[in-house]
Amino acid sequence: MLLLLLLLRFSGAGVRMKGGLRLVVLLMLSVESSSLSPPGKPVLLGCRSPEKETFTCWWKPGLDGGLPTVHRLYYEREHLEGTHECPDYRSAGSNSCFFDKNHTYIWVDYHVMVEASNALGNVPSDPLKFDVMEIVRPYAPENVTLMVEEKQESPYLHIRWKHPSNTVSRSGWITIKYQLRVKQENSNDWKNYTSGTQMGFSLYSIHPGVVYEVQVRCTLDHSSWSEWSNTTFVKIPNCEFQRPFAPFVALQLVVKIVKRFLLPPVPGPKIRGVDVQLLKSGKSEDVLGALIVNQNFPPMVARKDQMEEYLIVSDGGEWLLPAPLKSQKKKKSSFIPAGFHLDSQCKESTPSQVQENKDEMKSSSNLEQKQEFSGINFAAADLQKGASENFMQRLPNSGYVDIQRQENIVEVDGILVDYSRVKEVNGDNVFILQKENVPLSLDVQRREESMSEDYSRVKEVNGDNVVLLNPHMTGLSKIGVCTDLSSDGYVDTIPAPSLI
Amino acid sequence: MAQRRTNGSKLLMTVLCVVAACRAVPVTDLLDRASQRSDRLHSLSTMLTQELDSHFPPIGRVIMPRPAMCHTSSLQTPNDKEQALQVSESDLLSLARSLLRAWVDPLLVLSSSANTLPHPAQNSISNKIQELQEHSKSLGDGLNVLSGKMGPAAQTMSLLPYRGGNDLGQDKISKLINFQFLLSCLRRDSHKIDSFLKVLRCRAARMQPEMC
Repeated sequence: MLLLLLLLRFSGAGVRMKGGLRLVVLLMLSVESSSLSPPGKPVLLGCRSPEKETFTCWWKPGLDGGLPTVHRLYYEREHLEGTHECPDYRSAGSNSCFFDKNHTYIWVDYHVMVEASNALGNVPSDPLKFDVMEIVRPYAPENVTLMVEEKQESPYLHIRWKHPSNTVSRSGWITIKYQLRVKQENSNDWKNYTSGTQMGFSLYSIHPGVVYEVQVRCTLDHSSWSEWSNTTFVKIPNCEFQRPFAPFVALQLVVKIVKRFLLPPVPGPKIRGVDVQLLKSGKSEDVLGALIVNQNFPPMVARKDQMEEYLIVSDGGEWLLPAPLKSQKKKKSSFIPAGFHLDSQCKESTPSQVQENKDEMKSSSNLEQKQEFSGINFAAADLQKGASENFMQRLPNSGYVDIQRQENIVEVDGILVDYSRVKEVNGDNVFILQKENVPLSLDVQRREESMSEDYSRVKEVNGDNVVLLNPHMTGLSKIGVCTDLSSDGYVDTIPAPSLI
Repeated sequence: MAQRRTNGSKLLMTVLCVVAACRAVPVTDLLDRASQRSDRLHSLSTMLTQELDSHFPPIGRVIMPRPAMCHTSSLQTPNDKEQALQVSESDLLSLARSLLRAWVDPLLVLSSSANTLPHPAQNSISNKIQELQEHSKSLGDGLNVLSGKMGPAAQTMSLLPYRGGNDLGQDKISKLINFQFLLSCLRRDSHKIDSFLKVLRCRAARMQPEMC
């Protein structure tokens, strides 16, 4: 072999030698001694910046030439003079070059190459040209946690994760967006979801008893996607497994029962100026009446089927409809109630008659006193036996039934409430009267025997001044003015006074 | 009579101005909107370069002009995080506006060339360029409003004229190469604009850490 080497040398020294012969010699040399050759060409695998502040490049060495080989990375940079060598060969492991913050610049071009050297020569790799912007690729998100949450018997999966390590952005320099994928254990069908910049996600369409796999990945400033995080598994508990929670289920049932049967119903939504019950009744006139608010129609006749008692209190815009609500079950649709009496009295009367009635009543009972209870306008709901008052009150703005308060109570068999005492209205059925001389919010100017009757109507008493009314049909009233239109044109009946 | 009319219109104008001032959008909100637009702009430009790259002649990568040849390369901008965080708000805004302004003309050129681009994804590319133009215009308007609120320093803009002409090349290869070159310049600049605006947004929203 040495001979061949010498031959090669001297032949190259001056003697003309055919190129082919030389090549043959070289080949023989390499076959004979594979350890003595320049290194193989290294390959630059790529570079990556996980947080837009540093980056690393890796290469793969070529075949070893048999001699100790050293790899060096050189780079050039836009706006930088000359060629420079890698600042750090160690931090990122073997066959790598790490560029720290001081050496990393973005929006400038890097021109990088690796050179393998041994005693026999240097072999450069193909260069890599890139801008750090192009090689940004974050690490995968971390700490993916899965929690099954139960909400009203339909479980959902709450997925949480943390941003990839080394990317704490409090300056707005980077924006990380996440994407996750979920699949059932035994299927190959991944479902992808985008989570934007949020680090949590709730998955609602899950089935009990199934094991789900979840993976999350992220992108930084629309860079390439990171790897998928490690798969996290979760098993959704079966419904049967809820037996241990039977006591809680029982408790829920008890609460439901109490709510439905013992406590008063929750009032439904109301629209000011619109009578829900009337709308429900479906009668065209009623519907119209329910919707018309601002017109002055002549008063209409009370409806026959209005058997419902009601107590409507309007407090500057809030409608309270306890009775109709209560009787929703019965599906009575009338909002203009009162009682037989009223009906019988009213149904024949024409508007003019009603007017007459009104006048009559006015004269007879010298009631007429308009009163406004600091914004509370009343429409008395019930007819009481012997109640001779005519509660008619004009409601200026609410389009509701008017009640006229009377100062002097004439022949009243029933018990009247002095509505002027109403101090405050709380919720549907409750109105708080001033204490003065009203025990249990009754202002009985004439104590009648029917007091007890009326008390029977009290459904619930909350404290001193608060009475919950139980609408109750007691029928008679001498006077009923069926309907009257407020200035807003609302059609309604006016039940006689009363109440407790 | 005429005087009454002018008085009336003056009054109306005053009222309108007061109303407009009272209902002015706060700066943080404007910045947030601007960042979302710039994010979309950058997303589009990134997708465009990738799409064009999918069917690109290999020779093109070799003879592609260097980014230093971009028409906006003369503008001095921060080149790393530390530098960017040290730039003042008005300067950041001014840089973003200058870069954005510099792309109005080239986008027109790109748009007209996209119609006849010899590329399989030509239609999709053309649509994205159009969307780019719209977002760019609306972002420009938004930044103009913002600069009005941030003082005179923010109002200055550098002029970066595009001198590439209306034609991107005669033959297919040079057309593609020049198109891709312009897109790569655009991608770099859109990333700059997006990064600057997001740093601005985070700085302006001290009370809202979720903006960072």
